[in-house]
Amino acid sequence: MRCLVFVLSLLWLLSASAPLAQTTVQWWQFWTDPGIRPTIVEMVSEFEQQNPDIKVNLTDLTWASGHEKIVLAFASGTAPDVVELGSDWIAQFADAGRLADLTDHAGPQRPEYQGWSMATYEDRVYAKPWILGTRVLYFNRDLLTRAGFAEDFVPLSFQELDDAVTRIQALSGNVYGWGSNTPEKHRLYKKFLPFFWSARARLFSDDGRFCVVSSQKAVDALKFYKKLHDCCGYVADQRGLEDAFLDGKIGFILSGDWLLKRIELENRKMNFGTSLVPAPDPTFGTGRKFVPGFKTAVYPGRSFEGGEFLAVSATSRNRAAALKLIDFVTSPENQIRFCKANRSANPSSRTAQGDEYFQSHPQLQTFVMQLNLANHPPVDPNWVYMETEIEKAVEEVIFNNALPGETLRQLNKTLTGLLEK
Amino acid sequence: MRLTRSAGLSLTSPWILTFGLIWAFPVVYSLYIGFTDYRLLADSYRWIGWANYTELLGDPDFLAALKNTFIFVIGTIPVTTVLALGMALLVNRQFPGRSIFRSAFFLPSITSMVVVALIFTNLLSRGGYISFLASSVGLDPPAHGFLYDNSTALYAIMAMDVWMSVGYYMLIFLAGLKSIPDELYEAAEIAGASCGRTFFSVTLPLLRPVALFVIVINSIKSFQVFVEIFVMTKGKFDTATAVYFIYEQGLTTAFRIGYASAAAYVLFVIIGTFSIAQFLLIRRKASTW
Amino acid sequence: MVGRRSLISMGGHYLALVLTAVVMIFPLMWMFRVAFALPGGGLDLAVLLSADWTIQNFRDLFVQANIGRALVNSLLVGGAVTLGNILFCFMVAYGLARYRYLTNRLLFATVLAVLMIPMHIVIIPLYLLCLEAGIYDSYWALILPWLVNPIGIFLVKQYIESIPPSMEEAARIDGAGEMRIVFRVVMPLCKPALAVLAIQVFFTNWNSFLFPFILTSRDSLRTLPVALALYQGHQAIDWPHLMAGSTVAVVPILAVFLFMQRHIVSGITAGAIKQ
Repeated sequence: MRCLVFVLSLLWLLSASAPLAQTTVQWWQFWTDPGIRPTIVEMVSEFEQQNPDIKVNLTDLTWASGHEKIVLAFASGTAPDVVELGSDWIAQFADAGRLADLTDHAGPQRPEYQGWSMATYEDRVYAKPWILGTRVLYFNRDLLTRAGFAEDFVPLSFQELDDAVTRIQALSGNVYGWGSNTPEKHRLYKKFLPFFWSARARLFSDDGRFCVVSSQKAVDALKFYKKLHDCCGYVADQRGLEDAFLDGKIGFILSGDWLLKRIELENRKMNFGTSLVPAPDPTFGTGRKFVPGFKTAVYPGRSFEGGEFLAVSATSRNRAAALKLIDFVTSPENQIRFCKANRSANPSSRTAQGDEYFQSHPQLQTFVMQLNLANHPPVDPNWVYMETEIEKAVEEVIFNNALPGETLRQLNKTLTGLLEK
Repeated sequence: MRLTRSAGLSLTSPWILTFGLIWAFPVVYSLYIGFTDYRLLADSYRWIGWANYTELLGDPDFLAALKNTFIFVIGTIPVTTVLALGMALLVNRQFPGRSIFRSAFFLPSITSMVVVALIFTNLLSRGGYISFLASSVGLDPPAHGFLYDNSTALYAIMAMDVWMSVGYYMLIFLAGLKSIPDELYEAAEIAGASCGRTFFSVTLPLLRPVALFVIVINSIKSFQVFVEIFVMTKGKFDTATAVYFIYEQGLTTAFRIGYASAAAYVLFVIIGTFSIAQFLLIRRKASTW
Repeated sequence: MVGRRSLISMGGHYLALVLTAVVMIFPLMWMFRVAFALPGGGLDLAVLLSADWTIQNFRDLFVQANIGRALVNSLLVGGAVTLGNILFCFMVAYGLARYRYLTNRLLFATVLAVLMIPMHIVIIPLYLLCLEAGIYDSYWALILPWLVNPIGIFLVKQYIESIPPSMEEAARIDGAGEMRIVFRVVMPLCKPALAVLAIQVFFTNWNSFLFPFILTSRDSLRTLPVALALYQGHQAIDWPHLMAGSTVAVVPILAVFLFMQRHIVSGITAGAIKQ
């Protein structure tokens, strides 16, 4: 009996001298495929080594169903401390008060990172930008050469794009000029809006009170998009378009950086190039000629911008630890490491963007440049409805041959109705 | 049958427990939520009575989804049932290699639906094998592939669904066929009945309970078709079905779970009515032995 | 069926069999072929015709995606659920088939009712329930709700209803007790239905993705479909690996099926039924 008491008190003493209670941080993230997950795991274990009092529990999410799981967790009050959110989901969660307000924490970090505007709702910041994404023009150089274009040709205006697409379409051998997206949810609008924004059309007025989607510029942009589809469009879903592009059947498609990764992983010996999204008139009446390769912020075309963000749930009890993890993962060095492992991706850290790896890779350079010339949808919890309406309108015009002007006017009414909600 | 009630109770207790402890709550909870305006991320919600239901009746997307669901059910059930029965009859006889064929027929049923959907998406695309087959027999496949065309997308998915489920129902019919005692067939032969006559007078009537199962279960599942739509078309090109609508409304976009639950109960009532009708039409009393 | 078979009838029979088999098998043979193709390849016909093959995809699955653990989980959970269902569904089905009280009719109605509610609506309250009961993210969440499957109850009940009660009557006259009759007399007669039930339940559980994904978080609890889904990357479908994964997924069910099909076709022995 005394032996037992002795052993028990010894154990109690030993436990009392053990390190302070550990904080456990739950992190839910989407990068699960075997190509990139080891990097995430490495980062996490390094973080744990640097912070011995913090333990990180990683939960993997699938791209198809992960969003559901996140919503259920938030709805039932069991949200993780740190969660990866796509830029288009932030507004809903922020509006419902489910995300921690990070404005103060973000303050000093603002200049270093790009993309804060996508995480800012009603003037407060709710997430930190991690990996950004945009869409650029991919083109098949062999087809361009066959169609009689110069080695270094890059379409700078809508007109030039139209011309190139048409001439490629005219080539023999079952090739198409333009890859046109089918109505795929959350995708179609990302393909149309670059043309829309490049034409300097706007969705809403500056004060956000009026919808201006039926302006003449918008109608022209839609007409142009339809023209590309009608004359030379190869229609498929994003995956199908990329397959066909990689098989050399399409001249031009709009896609993101994952295609670069695919080309590399599948060892495709493609003679391709990437360029920024063109605009109707690259000089905008100024007469100034744009020289490609010159880093300028007045390049006319504007693309779509989105990205992956890291947020902290409002109910998290380990906010400090969570923020430490976020800062660690989004540090310039770790971003570079992640992007290298993922063989693509656009880091949100400006320091990282300036790294040799991105500067020396011609295609990644395009993405970095395009990121600086991109717009993103408004950060509004009703955006998901608006997105659906915009896609419906584009579908109507492209696939059911509705009239662009009328359809956009109708869309204007619908979006105005949503604004007023 | 003079049998003890306590025996009946203890035998059915597993279900009573399962239902009472696990499924009763979800069933009642979703019914209740259907009368509120609950949105998944909201803090609070209000009781709004029948408002969701009235909105559903006027929602063109919901009505289109219901229409597609009906097309799906009415299109696939008869075909699947007849084909499954046919295949069961084919492999019912004793012949060499029977179990190989049986396994071959059953194989599609046990493959993951997601994988099958992906394979078929590829087969049905513009350069895919099915388009190739169609054009080689002189038919004109849709320009961008079967799944990107309002008039063919849903039917293509239906065909795939039939292909996938036939093997499973064949197995059930096989089990049913085996329960028919040989003496009955012998008696029919002695009485001089032809093959067809035997089929209609001996086989079919005795298969009724099993056939009822096949048709009812197939209907219940078909009314809830979802995975194929989710993987292949995400509801585009007029393929949205009722459950896809429910999923979209409740778990994506605006998380209107109240609205989605109301839609689920409309579907529930429809399925229930259909099932009751099937029971009344197909079933016959077990006492006619 | 007893009777003379002409050569034409047999030939026709075989033709029908072969044609059907080809239609059923072809996509899966394709899947099987692609599973052994070089990584990075596509799904096109060219792959079918080429001679390159490798087992790298399978190796990757076991090493990188820890498919081995997922397989064990799926087998464990699947086995438990299947065995449970064989016992419990049979019990409930017998009770519903032979004891025709009003309450039992109502009970049967609940059996079917549960089947008629879409799973996306059920998942939310079920998730909440698992959280409350403390079984979230555990094997219990993967097993308990699925131990008594309504489809199984329905299937076996219909089967029992097509068995004449004469054997049970005979046993009762002989003086056997209730439970004895149920388990010793009727259950063996239900082998075909129970075999189908086993296959049905095992296979539904085996391919189930949504509930295991939502109700668990830990790596160590992953089942096969979840592990395979997580193996896919962003905006990518890696066909050879995906097909290798589904081949791995098909093999155990095929084994269960091959094992069970003997029981399906054993049928009731002739001579035991009195007219």
